[in-house]
Amino acid sequence: MNNGNGRRLNGETEEDDDDEGSEGDLDAWERTYADERSWESLQEDESGLLRPVDNTTLYHAQYRRRIRSLSSQATTARIQKGLIRYLYIVVDLSRAAAEMDYRPSRMAVVAKHVEAFIREFFDQNPLSQLGLVTIKDGIAHCLTDLGGSPESHVKALMGKLECSGESSLQNALDLVHGYLNQIPSYGHREVLILYSALSTCDPGDILETIQKCKKSKMRCSVIGISAEIFICKHLCQETGGSYSVAMDESHFKELILEHAPPPPAIAEFAIANLIKMGFPQRAAESSIAICSCHKEAKVGGGYTCPRCKARVCELPTECRICGLTLISSPHLARSYHHLFPIVPFDEVSPSVLNDPHNRLPRSCFGCQQSFPNPGNKPSLRVACPKCKQHFCLDCDIYIHESLHNCPGCESFRHSKSPIATEE
Amino acid sequence: MVQFANVVVYSYQYLLDPKVAGYISKEMQKESVVVFDEAHNIDNVCIEALSVSVRRQTLEGARRNLNKMRQEIEKFKATDAGRLRAEYNRLVEGLAQRGNLPFTDNWLSNPALPDDILKEAVPGNIRRAEHFLHVLRRLVQYLEGRLETDNVEKEGPVGFVASINTHAGIDQKTLKFCYDRLHSLMLTLEITDTDEFLHIQTICDFATLVGTYTRGFSIIIEPFDERMPHIPDPVLQLSCHDASLAIKPVFDRFQSVVITSGTLSPIDLYPRLLNFHPVVSRSFTMSLTRDCICPMVLTRGSDQLPVSTKFDMRSDLGVVRNYGRLLLEMASVVPDGIVCFFVSYSYMDGIVNSWNENGILKEIMQHKLVFIETQDVVETTLALDNYRKACDCGRGAIFFSVARGKVAEGIDFDRHYGRLVIMFGVPFQYTLSKILLARLEYLRDTFQIKEGDFLTFDALRQAAQCVGRVIRSKADYGMMIFADKRYSRHDKRSKLPGWILSHLRDAHLNLSTDMALHIAREFLRKMAQPYDRAGGSGRKTLLSQEDVEKMGDGILNEMQY
Repeated sequence: MNNGNGRRLNGETEEDDDDEGSEGDLDAWERTYADERSWESLQEDESGLLRPVDNTTLYHAQYRRRIRSLSSQATTARIQKGLIRYLYIVVDLSRAAAEMDYRPSRMAVVAKHVEAFIREFFDQNPLSQLGLVTIKDGIAHCLTDLGGSPESHVKALMGKLECSGESSLQNALDLVHGYLNQIPSYGHREVLILYSALSTCDPGDILETIQKCKKSKMRCSVIGISAEIFICKHLCQETGGSYSVAMDESHFKELILEHAPPPPAIAEFAIANLIKMGFPQRAAESSIAICSCHKEAKVGGGYTCPRCKARVCELPTECRICGLTLISSPHLARSYHHLFPIVPFDEVSPSVLNDPHNRLPRSCFGCQQSFPNPGNKPSLRVACPKCKQHFCLDCDIYIHESLHNCPGCESFRHSKSPIATEE
Repeated sequence: MVQFANVVVYSYQYLLDPKVAGYISKEMQKESVVVFDEAHNIDNVCIEALSVSVRRQTLEGARRNLNKMRQEIEKFKATDAGRLRAEYNRLVEGLAQRGNLPFTDNWLSNPALPDDILKEAVPGNIRRAEHFLHVLRRLVQYLEGRLETDNVEKEGPVGFVASINTHAGIDQKTLKFCYDRLHSLMLTLEITDTDEFLHIQTICDFATLVGTYTRGFSIIIEPFDERMPHIPDPVLQLSCHDASLAIKPVFDRFQSVVITSGTLSPIDLYPRLLNFHPVVSRSFTMSLTRDCICPMVLTRGSDQLPVSTKFDMRSDLGVVRNYGRLLLEMASVVPDGIVCFFVSYSYMDGIVNSWNENGILKEIMQHKLVFIETQDVVETTLALDNYRKACDCGRGAIFFSVARGKVAEGIDFDRHYGRLVIMFGVPFQYTLSKILLARLEYLRDTFQIKEGDFLTFDALRQAAQCVGRVIRSKADYGMMIFADKRYSRHDKRSKLPGWILSHLRDAHLNLSTDMALHIAREFLRKMAQPYDRAGGSGRKTLLSQEDVEKMGDGILNEMQY
């Protein structure tokens, strides 16, 4: 108890305290606060030459992505997913979006990634439609209506990048709710809110609005940029969406791109319907028709709606005259693979590789590049559980993220037994 | 009902305060296990249980009660004199209460402790009811005389009793029996409205205590409150300094007594204060899957000027501005609720006023709504209710509270209701209070505890109690800022409880406002990521029943070898 400091009552003056050990802490906090110390990640190889930085980081990135894809496809069961999605992106342009913890500003970074997301979204969900809403000065504005063309959305967003005022979550939800109520029942209603503010300034009871959204089967997800807010978490829990907070710019990009593939449909909301769609034919090169989207005469390639024979410029779209959804078969095929995901490949363990009794293929089945000799490093090859072919890491990523078909399984589709390779 | 219950939960006074314990805890068995939860303030509770304070209103009320009782006695004498005589006989035989009281049961409802009550016949000069009332009247008159002094006086109980004897002719033994006698008289007169007779009961409490104890008490007479010298408000206080007196019967009577708290630090001070030898004295760390607490010690503002609530620095404009800017910056970075604790009501009033004049308060209100605790219970409850509503609906709120107030003692700010707690300054007690000075002197003389140490210990226990409001479960997370330059000194910091110290890294000491801001941002982002509650990654923190059984078997196996 008596630590020999001498007794001092509160009223007496104390001598100045010295900074205890603050010099030793300078390195620690400096390191934490400084973002760029890239010279620390340089390494030397055995002969003293600088090793190029890319190898390890690239490898780690690949590995991370594999792990992520493994965990996200936790079951290979056939899950019903909403392929026809009507998604509203709500971008928060309140004064918090002007903060500069993301360079150059939060608003600019968000806009850049939203653009990438829009393109990816239409790539993976050609049957879906997207709309943009912004919150500024406490009021929610609809920037673009639900539509299928990425260019118009991106152009509208980039033109309106100013931020000011408060943010109001309730106003945004009310606006989106009003629009999404009008869509047909086979569509899946989703809202993705990119929230930079830390609070919401609402005109009424936001909990009521959340209940309203829940009743209309709207799935609201939020990506927070500053910190975790209770009301956003509550909103996501009630409506069945996902809430995540981005730690930095690259993490934000990952989080937003996670929303591009269709989410699992909630059982009682997904009503199986027959949906009428049209598969228009491409008009001949020399035909002249009045285009229904540009309202002027155009020569050459366009598509003719099978029901009302109006000309449209691009697919997929909704015919302006009769309201029929017009798509082409590659679009359907692109949506199909979400329903039948490819199984994650297994890693081939080093013990199997080092065993001399195994007859292992020397090159990757996908790209025919030979595998490096197995050493003590973690294994650089994976195998498909169905056809047992070996692939390198690059092919693994390509197959799972872009191709969505295993070349091994496609090649040996007709044979009963796969090539005998011992595990 | 108490005999049939397996578990009984009630407040400390029912066990520690001798006046109440006799009624309520009489039937508790010796084999019971007594657990004092949140017992960091137990020494204060023990002291208050044996302290009495007498003001002018008390004495006037006592006079009224005496008159009333005299009328009652006259009435009884006229109608039912036999009852008074029966009481007289009982008192002669030494049975102080109606009905047989076996002497083995020590729990009489007497302000003095059971062992100190004389088991004798009541002295002759107060056996008769009228004589007793005369004695009380002389005592009240003497006390009124003492209250009219112009200076602060301090006396020990022995000297006080001696002066009562000289001036009012009441000896010590008579004083000792006052409470019993009054109680028996009120039973005889069948007075049911005990609230009205509270004043005379207070006087009798005072008399019995002063007559029973010779050590560990002081009588302090103050003609006015130090902080308001022109308002005469004389008060006579019998303050107990020895916390071990009230708790001694509990230790003697019950087989197992457990004293536990989250902020019982330093733990070796409590056995000295309560005068007992603990059989087991353990301090446990929290088992957490992730670092969900981020304590920080902030010693300067962004302009590198030190901040403190030291008395001579309180009115410094730089300090006020730095505190204001700290709160403003934190309000713009932390979501949902923030709780701020100040060292006293007057300090809180002053600083909020200054912030209002500077315009900082308006800027703060743009980020979050502001609620404040007052001395009125209803207002505070309303403020708390609205604070919670504001946090729930996403508007965000700040709650201003005082370190020794009701909110700091009892209200939890868990989850989003408290994401950040700021302790502005070190909450020392009002060090010029006479009672505190007397107590410090007693502690120094009896226990060799230095005054500075005790004051620091008391202040830090209060600070730890305040910041502990913010974490209430493993899934919860929160930040704590200790905003005073004195916290960076080792003698203050080392008195914080272990669970705070284990998370207080060196990089979080001696911060300025912008550094704290950076740490806060990172911490909040990190804590917002999803995590595995059961701690699957490392050590398990949520044990299942098999785990516990396995642990038990393991220990058993060890013991066999």
